Amino acid sequence: MRDVIVFIEHKAGAARRVSLELATKAADVAKALGGKAHAVVLGAGAHAVATALAAYPLDAIHVSEDADVDAFLIDPAVDYLQAVALAVGPALILVPNTMLGRDVGSRLAARLGAGMTSDVTELGVDGANVNCVSPKLGGLTLTTCTFKSDYGVAAVRPNTFKATPAAGAGEIVALAKPAGKTYRMKVEAEVEEAAAELGVEEASTVIAGGRGVGGPEPFHTFLKDLADALGGAVGASRAAVDAGWISHAHQVGQTGKTISPQLYIACGISGAIQHKVGMRTSGTIVAINKDGSVPIADFADLLVVGDLFAIVPELTKAVRGN
Amino acid sequence: MKIVVTVKLVPDTNADKRIDPGTKRLVRAGVDTVLNPFDEFAIEAGLQLKEKLGGDTTVTVVAMVPETGKEIVRKALAMGADDAIIVSDAALVGSDLWTTASVLAKAIGTKGFDLVLCGTQSTDANSGNLPGELAELLGVPGLTNVRKLELAGTTVNAERETDNGYQKISAELPLLVSVTKSINTPRYPALKGIMGAKKKPIAVWPVADLALAHPVGSSGAKTEVTDVALAAGRSKGRSVTVADGAEGARVIVEFLKEKKLL
Repeated sequence: MRDVIVFIEHKAGAARRVSLELATKAADVAKALGGKAHAVVLGAGAHAVATALAAYPLDAIHVSEDADVDAFLIDPAVDYLQAVALAVGPALILVPNTMLGRDVGSRLAARLGAGMTSDVTELGVDGANVNCVSPKLGGLTLTTCTFKSDYGVAAVRPNTFKATPAAGAGEIVALAKPAGKTYRMKVEAEVEEAAAELGVEEASTVIAGGRGVGGPEPFHTFLKDLADALGGAVGASRAAVDAGWISHAHQVGQTGKTISPQLYIACGISGAIQHKVGMRTSGTIVAINKDGSVPIADFADLLVVGDLFAIVPELTKAVRGN
Repeated sequence: MKIVVTVKLVPDTNADKRIDPGTKRLVRAGVDTVLNPFDEFAIEAGLQLKEKLGGDTTVTVVAMVPETGKEIVRKALAMGADDAIIVSDAALVGSDLWTTASVLAKAIGTKGFDLVLCGTQSTDANSGNLPGELAELLGVPGLTNVRKLELAGTTVNAERETDNGYQKISAELPLLVSVTKSINTPRYPALKGIMGAKKKPIAVWPVADLALAHPVGSSGAKTEVTDVALAAGRSKGRSVTVADGAEGARVIVEFLKEKKLL
């Protein structure tokens, strides 16, 4: 493979940070492969995103504001990406390891007969080969994987690479609408239940609540306040989700999401293995628990034994005053 | 209506797991194997549809597992699925995502389906990419991360989870749907179900019967594992018992400043 193609995820014209991380990394990898770095931006607001992407070292930014991309699920985006991939030739395709990135990436990989590797935290180039490193088995091992196919798809974990602006050729290319396609999964409505800007997979700071939080309110009050003060997202343990205190989208752990934010603050979470596998690769782990003998004591960088109901609001005040 | 549910067998999360440095694969000896917990939501969703639709609706479980996994697949039959197909073959060892999806797609296509249900991910590989690949190879749309599923004729109305809410989606059969844990509470097999499951058929299909156009297992894989290393473990950090909220906040703020996180 020679070129690198990045699927840019954005929300109504604002690129998600992971997309900028991927755009930066794509340029590095393309340079090492002796190829070009391409970005593909689709849907309403794509031109605004393309303008923002011009500050990143990309060779080409492929754009379409086709309304089908937002009106129908997944499939239109796959068709556009396929068209770019076939035009570019054998390439590494980077998608964010997010809900949308996985959906689009997996479908595209199957269509191109491409290998796919997920939750990538390191990308290396060896001649024409790309080596992808991913934590496996709940972060116990680091597995390096390479592609045996012309195209390869890598779903990259957010918060892994730095987004660093640098000038590039940044040629804007308008994409033609794929011909002869009909789409069958129609988006009838988009409902936002939480005002959260960031998902737990993408946030660089996650404030998570568990059984010790005692009910649904703190997820909307003092945990949310701390997350806002630190520019992060609210996460939860399985116990909190199963109790119905917060939706499953926030769940971290075995039956939820695997994340590695720079900072993870666990409030009233014991840290059983099912939770640990979802957050053990976080940069720094702080735990607040009334019990000093919980499992998380063995792997948190700082355990504060005390009353989270008193500590968290004070911490928010201190962070805001900082 | 034909409903197919894919299932996978995974090592128990609570088990102590390690990788064989020679084969670079998980050492399964001594590790309990269980039905992937995510798949139980898909089985339950299939059973609820069957109960609602009645008539000649069938729920078939399809899995790519060694024959030794047969009895674990039987749990799905004990829950209420009608029958199971397992594709078992030594040639499948070393399969990657693409070869796994290809084999499942061929088996499901051979059986025939109106609706394929999957869990969102497995607890071992944890990639969440199989439903998308499988849908593509089956040539049907793949409606992922569904937390509410309703069927009216051939129209599917669903709620699909997003990072901060949900989308209402309409689609048409044939379709693949992956379901999240929010969709239902999987039933425990009742004694009657467990007894009845012993008589339900589990067909074992060798991979040759699928007449795939390409090699399977490691020779057909599109990815190759070149190295497996043990990740650096986390060590025990410091522990501070605080008297009140203000002290707790102060300890954390100092720590975050020390780590340059504040």
